[in-house]
Amino acid sequence: MHDRLDHHGMNDMSDEASLAAALRALPANTPPQEAWRNLSGRIGRRRAVRRTVWFTLPAAFAAGIALAFAWPHLNLRAPSPPSARVAQTPSSAKPHTGPVPDVAALQASSAKWQNWVQSLSHNGAPLDGRALASAVALQDRIGMVDLQLSAARSPAAAAGLWQQRITLLQQLGLLHLQPYAVAEQTHPAYNRVISM
Amino acid sequence: MDAHSNFQQHVEPDTIARLKGGDLTAFESVYRQFERAAWTLALRLTGRADVAQEVLQDSMLKAFERARQYRGDAPFAAWLRKLVVNESLMQLRHDRLHVIEVFDDDTLGDDSAPQPWTSADAATLDRALNRLPDDARAVLWLYHVEGFTHVEIAREFGRSVSFSKSQLARGTKRLRELLQPRVEDTPCTIGSTTTA
Repeated sequence: MHDRLDHHGMNDMSDEASLAAALRALPANTPPQEAWRNLSGRIGRRRAVRRTVWFTLPAAFAAGIALAFAWPHLNLRAPSPPSARVAQTPSSAKPHTGPVPDVAALQASSAKWQNWVQSLSHNGAPLDGRALASAVALQDRIGMVDLQLSAARSPAAAAGLWQQRITLLQQLGLLHLQPYAVAEQTHPAYNRVISM
Repeated sequence: MDAHSNFQQHVEPDTIARLKGGDLTAFESVYRQFERAAWTLALRLTGRADVAQEVLQDSMLKAFERARQYRGDAPFAAWLRKLVVNESLMQLRHDRLHVIEVFDDDTLGDDSAPQPWTSADAATLDRALNRLPDDARAVLWLYHVEGFTHVEIAREFGRSVSFSKSQLARGTKRLRELLQPRVEDTPCTIGSTTTA
């Protein structure tokens, strides 16, 4: 056999010497073909990362300094809600017994609150799971109100539904303000909505 | 370095200088020169091809990235071998991937028995070597093939000299036992004679 070990004269050797000879006679192994390709690829990637770091580090440093100077002048607060004047309209969805409110004014107010909520949801922090579930429920209720509005027969009924829509939008806005409230418990926009 | 070590190879000073300068071509020539030696050593010390591949990659990568640290006090091949040994033993220490086989002195073979490795072919010896406990296999290989002293082995393992001696003695006994033919493997001749 070609891989048979060469044992000439080994009978007289000690255990140690004969074992050493046997182990040394084992053929050397060859690493897998892809070993060099993997290694050179790894070196290439590490070099690319180092180059990127060296090129971007000064830029990041400069950006950090610029941010430090600009920080006091940045307005990172939540968008302000629409004027509280609109919220002075009755907030109950019950049928009105008094004079019929201005439906057009309520429509305009609803549009403003909707824009505010949209700006909050686009610019604000992402909602956590519980808040997100509440937001979805509120949006569903707003959808239901919209459905009822499309079938409203009287201005009084429409006005009540529009007011209900505004209330739901305010609640939705409050949900989006919660992250701001955690960061800054005395946020003016938050307080303004609460006082409505 | 032991004359029988696969690492007993000369590297041109010019190649080392270029390697220190980060020349990938010089590194490839060093890699090609030592890939079999490094792979075989890693395979013998760790006992597993997948771990040996990791050792080969990591130690060669270190050789490339730390080439500047090579001062030329010892042959380059010895420096490279040390990287491979360190990486292999680190894998053994941290991963302990193998089932650690505990030596049972009662079942060890007879020391006065003939040296079975003198009559074993390479494949059989290879298989028996792989069945040794990790530490014993690594000590046997470092001592007999790489020519490490017990003091050097103890230093590499972070253990005492008696640990190295004990592992060598026990590993040798276990290897003898593994290579000796078992009783059930012996052909049975009783009643095998044919009658005319």
